[in-house]
Amino acid sequence: MATTTVLTTESPDRWKYLNNILTRSGPYTDEAFTPGDFPKQFLADAKILVIGAGGLGCEILKNLALSGFKDIHVIDMDTIDISNLNRQFLFREADVGKSKAEVAAAFVMKRVRGVKITPFNCAIQDKDDDYYRQFKIVVCGLDSVEARRWINATLVNLVDDETLIPLIDGGTEGFKGQARVMIPTISCCYECTLDMLTPRAAVPLCTLASIPRQPAHCIEWASVIQWPKEKGDLKLDTDDPEHISWLYTQALGRAKEFNIPGVTYAMTQGVVKNIIPAIASTNAIIAASCCNEALKLATTAAPYLDNYMMYTGDESIYTYTFQHEKKEECPVCGNLPQNLTVDPESTLEQLMEKLQERPETTLKKPSFRTSSKSLYLQAPKQLEEQTRPNLEKKCKELMEEGDELSISDPGMPFNLRFIISFS
Amino acid sequence: MSVPGAPTAKEKKYDRQLRLWGAGGQEALETAHILLVNATAAGTETLKNLVLPGAGRFTIIDDAVVTDEDLGTNFFLDDSSIGLSRAQKTCELLCELNPDVKGDYINDSIENVIKSTPEKLKEFTIVLATGDIVTSTLLSLDSILYPLDTPIFVLKCVGFAVTCRLALSEHTIVETHPASTVDLRLLNPFPELLALAEEKAGSMNDKSKMNTHDHGHIPYVLILLRALDDWKSTHDDNVPSNYSQKNQFKSFVRSKMWDADEENFEEAIAAVLPHFNSPSIPSGTKAVFEDEKTKSLTSSSTNFWIVARAIKDFAEKNNGLLPLPGALPDMKAESKDYIQLQNVYKSKARADLAAVVEIAKSLLSELGKPADSISEPEIETFCKHAGYIKLIRGRSLKQEYEDSPNAKKISNEISEPTSLIHYYLGLRAYESFISEESNTKRVAPGVEDSSVESDAEKMDKYVTEILDKLSITHSPELLEGTSKAIREIVRVGGGELHNISSLAGGIVSQEIIKVITKQYIPMSNTVVFDGISSRTEVYEL
Repeated sequence: MATTTVLTTESPDRWKYLNNILTRSGPYTDEAFTPGDFPKQFLADAKILVIGAGGLGCEILKNLALSGFKDIHVIDMDTIDISNLNRQFLFREADVGKSKAEVAAAFVMKRVRGVKITPFNCAIQDKDDDYYRQFKIVVCGLDSVEARRWINATLVNLVDDETLIPLIDGGTEGFKGQARVMIPTISCCYECTLDMLTPRAAVPLCTLASIPRQPAHCIEWASVIQWPKEKGDLKLDTDDPEHISWLYTQALGRAKEFNIPGVTYAMTQGVVKNIIPAIASTNAIIAASCCNEALKLATTAAPYLDNYMMYTGDESIYTYTFQHEKKEECPVCGNLPQNLTVDPESTLEQLMEKLQERPETTLKKPSFRTSSKSLYLQAPKQLEEQTRPNLEKKCKELMEEGDELSISDPGMPFNLRFIISFS
Repeated sequence: MSVPGAPTAKEKKYDRQLRLWGAGGQEALETAHILLVNATAAGTETLKNLVLPGAGRFTIIDDAVVTDEDLGTNFFLDDSSIGLSRAQKTCELLCELNPDVKGDYINDSIENVIKSTPEKLKEFTIVLATGDIVTSTLLSLDSILYPLDTPIFVLKCVGFAVTCRLALSEHTIVETHPASTVDLRLLNPFPELLALAEEKAGSMNDKSKMNTHDHGHIPYVLILLRALDDWKSTHDDNVPSNYSQKNQFKSFVRSKMWDADEENFEEAIAAVLPHFNSPSIPSGTKAVFEDEKTKSLTSSSTNFWIVARAIKDFAEKNNGLLPLPGALPDMKAESKDYIQLQNVYKSKARADLAAVVEIAKSLLSELGKPADSISEPEIETFCKHAGYIKLIRGRSLKQEYEDSPNAKKISNEISEPTSLIHYYLGLRAYESFISEESNTKRVAPGVEDSSVESDAEKMDKYVTEILDKLSITHSPELLEGTSKAIREIVRVGGGELHNISSLAGGIVSQEIIKVITKQYIPMSNTVVFDGISSRTEVYEL
């Protein structure tokens, strides 16, 4: 086969500098590092998974291919949008609408000889434990907290005598970003650090409904109140320009009524899609940091990041590199339940709403159990109907101080555990 | 689409970045012409991050021919490029990234360009020099570009070590993007604000004149102004000035609540510490006001200095107060009350702006310039940011290398084992090595396995020469950190690792964008990155 010939004739000079750090020890390398063929072979054989083929993902695929990884998988369920082109450099205008994973994989394979990239145009939840078990390292370039929590819990659950898959995670916002290395059960996991995310500042419904003051209040009124009222069951699609235009016109009318200046189309889009500014430069920094760590983990050619690096570029350049601690009461990798103070007079439904405000307890469809009974179950339908009346009951009727409350969610492969105390 | 305000094709494509630097920043980027000296991996990665967001033009100067080693580190080359001009091939593949951008190349060495057509260098907005460039060439570039105010970035990436030096003679920033520009003027309210406080909160203490709904919806700014009035009447007309008085004042405000869950009062209490500050001109603004260029305007003064002077004159006539930015944070209130309060701040900001515009016009006429040569929106942006402007006066490479090296900084850092100054010194020694050891052919330290240790020893010697020149006393013990950094640099054999170069390209392109758009604050003036410990440090050298 022609391809085989091409591979075998690859010049030894191509990977000269990469090979130098694999065949020579450095002043900072661990004593256990054996320079030579071993790390080179490991790198060539190691299967590595990339989750996300967007801003970070495109960079990660390029970087891994040029780091000597030969067997890469990539998962992304998204298609290419015009607003991706200012940073997702493996895509062109003609690619708009195609699968990100497929276009990105094909581009990097064409450019970098000898690398095999297997794309999957699907959700990470579509793959099972056996699929994930085949990888030596997982690198994430995602914009979703939920997906990160899912893959994190999945990798922690996979830990056994033969399996320990490090998770490397990157994230950016504007000129800022972070890269981190998580060794399941050894260092802190993604769930351990969820409380670092800023809680959602929800605008009270009454402000939206009757006393708007900001352009964002008018836009949220349009999407939260007007859309369901006027459009009934039609689901709001924030990627549909006609839907955005409708919201924009509604918000503009609302703003005019209350003399509120500043509603724009771009702001409407920003508010309803929760758009985070993103640029190529920051993605490059964070993706490269993640891949540098992947290379170090795979070869031990230099000590890896333990375990968190934050980059801030909007005012001079500042990095904060530190070890984030593992949380004993982490619902994913810890052993202890968390403490939860509950107002005994509030209803179970109110408790449910309150939990949604904190990133570490945000769940899509939570079910509640104590050790002795089921308080509220989302499924099956029969049990949901049976337990629904409990939503109206006060917490003091349903639980006692010291009870262990367990909350599960079909989207998360773990339970949140709380010891209840009353305020 | 017929919807008014719907984005153009360009706005759609650049949406995620326009949210950071706006149309003004984008225009600056689109009119920039960037020169890359040597199409190394770090160089092309930097350009990738500038071509994607739509930088107007770039030119690559490089006389190298593409080798196999290039293909192992540089994504903007492929198998078909081997043996061809590196400037040309990288230019072609970079241009594919964005049809809006124009790319050029000069297949020649920077030394030849400096020698034969130095005037060519005057075309560029910004210059990035990467790869192995000898010291004398760097200093020649500096001597041509620094006096022209053309910013020069010198980027070195060897293995896990990165340094980037920015030589920028003068840089002024209006849009520094502070977290907030809110100035509520609580301790020096203007008459219209006081009148509104009287109208909306005058009966705040009187249950017979105000109902509970209205009481729970008084905007907190007006609650504070009203409470302050009460406080002053029992405190010899003084406002709470120190921490303990401010805490007492918070309790005083709390005592005026009618109901424990009045959110507007909670907001008022939380606003006391952040907003009860006596007016003073922040240090960044003061530095601009006291600069010679503000004090003595000339006919060649740029808009920045003329507006800065207008605002300085305004503040002097206005009890030291800068023009009001006019921003108001959201707060619990009825829509109409909030809008009314917002308009009071906005009207005051507009009045201040009008006064500054008048001063600027008379300054322009004194300078013999047309009165409309500075637009009102430009002055308005300046007024909104008057407390947050920034002036950077940088240092040339000649100052760093010869005239006034920052020996003190280096000497303070050198005994710290984890300081990143060791990589700075290591890469300076690397530059000395390639400057001294390469005759007809480039020779980098550590190229051959057999020369690793002897090359490291030569690098040790170059470091001691640099330190001797700076009169920094040293000993082998003191140089332990530097010696390790040198061995890490020699280990890779004079080449790049893609991840590190890509990361460096990300850092440098952020800085280039900040400099070109004159928004956000660039580093001053040398950043060091260590890919082993994943840290950066910024030094003024």
